[in-house]
Amino acid sequence: MNQWSNFTKGFFKENPVFVMLLGMCPTLGVTSSAINGLGMGLATTFVLVMSNIVVALVKDFIPEKVRIPSFIVIIASFVTIVEMVMQAWLPALFEALGLFIPLIVVNCIVLGRAEAFASKNSVGSSIIDGLGMGLGFSLALTILGTTRELLGSGKAFGLPIFSESYGMLVFVLAPGAFIALGYLIALINKIRRAG
Amino acid sequence: MGKTESSLSNMALTLITITLLTGAALGYVYKLTEKPVAIAKEKKQQEAIRLVVPEFDNNPAQEMYLIPTSDGDSLKVFPAKKEGKKVGCAIESISHNGFGGDVKIMVGILPDGTIYNYQVLEHKETPGLGTKMTTWFKPSEEDNVSKASGNAFFNWLFGISNNSGGGNTSIVGVDPTKTKLEVSADGGDIDAITAATISSRAFLEAVRKAWYAYTEIVDTHSSATTKEKNSQEGGMQ
Amino acid sequence: MNQKLVISPSPHIHSGDSIPANMYGVIIALLPALATSVWLFGVGALIVTFTSVAACVFFEWIIQKYLLKVTPSITDGSAIVTGLLLAFNLPTNIPIGLIIIGAAVAIGIGKMSFGGLGNNPFNPALVGRVFLLISYPVQMTTWPTPFASRLQYIDAQTGATPLSVIKEGLSNGQTIPELMERIPSYLDLFLGKTGGSAGEMAALALLIGGVYLLWKRIITWHIPVSVIGSVVIFTGILHLANPSTFADPLFHILTGGIMLGAFFMATDYATSPMSNKGMLLYGAGIGIITVLIRCFGSYPEGVSFAILIMNGFTPLINRYMKPKRFGETIKTARVQTSK
Repeated sequence: MNQWSNFTKGFFKENPVFVMLLGMCPTLGVTSSAINGLGMGLATTFVLVMSNIVVALVKDFIPEKVRIPSFIVIIASFVTIVEMVMQAWLPALFEALGLFIPLIVVNCIVLGRAEAFASKNSVGSSIIDGLGMGLGFSLALTILGTTRELLGSGKAFGLPIFSESYGMLVFVLAPGAFIALGYLIALINKIRRAG
Repeated sequence: MGKTESSLSNMALTLITITLLTGAALGYVYKLTEKPVAIAKEKKQQEAIRLVVPEFDNNPAQEMYLIPTSDGDSLKVFPAKKEGKKVGCAIESISHNGFGGDVKIMVGILPDGTIYNYQVLEHKETPGLGTKMTTWFKPSEEDNVSKASGNAFFNWLFGISNNSGGGNTSIVGVDPTKTKLEVSADGGDIDAITAATISSRAFLEAVRKAWYAYTEIVDTHSSATTKEKNSQEGGMQ
Repeated sequence: MNQKLVISPSPHIHSGDSIPANMYGVIIALLPALATSVWLFGVGALIVTFTSVAACVFFEWIIQKYLLKVTPSITDGSAIVTGLLLAFNLPTNIPIGLIIIGAAVAIGIGKMSFGGLGNNPFNPALVGRVFLLISYPVQMTTWPTPFASRLQYIDAQTGATPLSVIKEGLSNGQTIPELMERIPSYLDLFLGKTGGSAGEMAALALLIGGVYLLWKRIITWHIPVSVIGSVVIFTGILHLANPSTFADPLFHILTGGIMLGAFFMATDYATSPMSNKGMLLYGAGIGIITVLIRCFGSYPEGVSFAILIMNGFTPLINRYMKPKRFGETIKTARVQTSK
């Protein structure tokens, strides 16, 4: 596989959120604003790239039968590192994302890439795969976050676009996440079919 | 993958190695972030105190002490001093009667007993209704800034009236001995948030609790200075 | 759109009715409640009803013509019914912008996204209403006082509804007997002389409309009876257990949206079960969830939520309580369900 298409597949063709419908828990849970979506996406990208590197490095030493527990330990360690670093230097984002940071561990994208890609490919390809998938995930979360923030509170990345009192509050809440995601997936499917 | 055979000893060895390595890595990162985490936490508290009392130069968090209330909570009191003189104190107060749970606020009270400012620390109120408490009880200028971006036609279309903050909603600068800190529906002097009376009631309850706690300090304090040194004073310094 | 195909599963259509005939029957049945609403709230009721109906028909037309590119079917009356029901679920001082958003959500999200009439799992008018309630809670919960300002629209004088009086009073430590003094008499509640949404309070007018629907066989008795019956039984038990925190059954069926919900919204063909047994179960579910929300939830009123929740259960109920097909023996029916 050529490296460029390996990198770009995560953005559109195999987008983890809009096409593969993976990692729905953080997708629906944290995207009440664009910045939360982006922050979550980048945190996941970091974990994804690092765990892909380590898994690709150690894949030959791990016995077949304990590969899943080994991957989980590796992923969980990186998630904990992200959590501690965020708490120290980005306390505001840490508070906004809250419970969803530790939940990156169970995000099936991370384990999915480790199992499906990094454990079968070289370190270089695994980095590119992790980066592409992570950025694709970040892109999807940012789009969803921006949509919800704009419709729900009239802002984009915290900048006021129109008065907050016109916003449809439901989009900031859980039901709005489902509605917005549903229509975004419909839109992506329409583009995919046309293209 | 799978170049190592899945024998028991291999599996155990692999898992032990991995957990040891990751454990060491985590320990290292923990050491690295321990201090910044503590600083970030303290900074957040300092920020909340700074917002509700006038300028100070001491460290209120170090001089913090607890005051028990009649209903079994204890409120944290942060005295703020400038050049050794008391300029006010920030009191962390709580109400358990919010619409969605506890309402935790920080209220700043000046030495003359008036309320300087407040900050909502934690709440689980309904978005769009109870959440308005973060600005509702402040003077209306602050409220109007957020409203100014709308125009008259859209305000009419969405039914947003510009004078909704015009009532008696602010608790800033209020002297609780003269103003009754209860919602007007209950015979008080403060207008409740539109369609969120329960949240308003909880908020004002927390403010009242802070104020009662404050009056207790003043009582013990004045008795301590006018009469003899009170044993309570040790806890207050 | 093939209308006959869409409605054929329903047992009500066996007489050879058409969608328009049923829909216009529903509209006629809603007229007494509309008249009551205008009598109580004046010009506001007219503005809200007209805007809502016009917006629903407009969105149905524009989505069918330009987005789905099919022949618009706005003359079948279903968009008018959705518009009327949406208006009946809104306060009569609600600003026009919100009515238009509600209509767009009701038709766009509630109905057309799922493939149009007959395919929608949830009652479109209620989808629009709940969307507005969550999005604009202030505007959706300030109710005009009847008779107070019949010539005013947005600036109408407002007051609390009986259900919100009870909810707030109880949270403030008062008891039901004390609070009952602040609530209009049961006769006034029966006639609708109290604050509330445009068309939901007039129990008498809604009963007249409901009887018309039954007489014209547009609906059967199962859903209204089981909704109201389960509310009466459940609140009766609660009231007997503790009369100081739970109001009596009569209060519960005369206030809020029980009558409107039981006769007009829970009975929507596409979103309610097909078999009689299924309808009874569905109605009982609505009644019980309504009472749970009213007595133990955070909202004062729960009919809309209850109907939407039971709409969600409808496919499940249909699966286990299939109506027997004509000419089908019991044995083959059993074989089919056990598959």
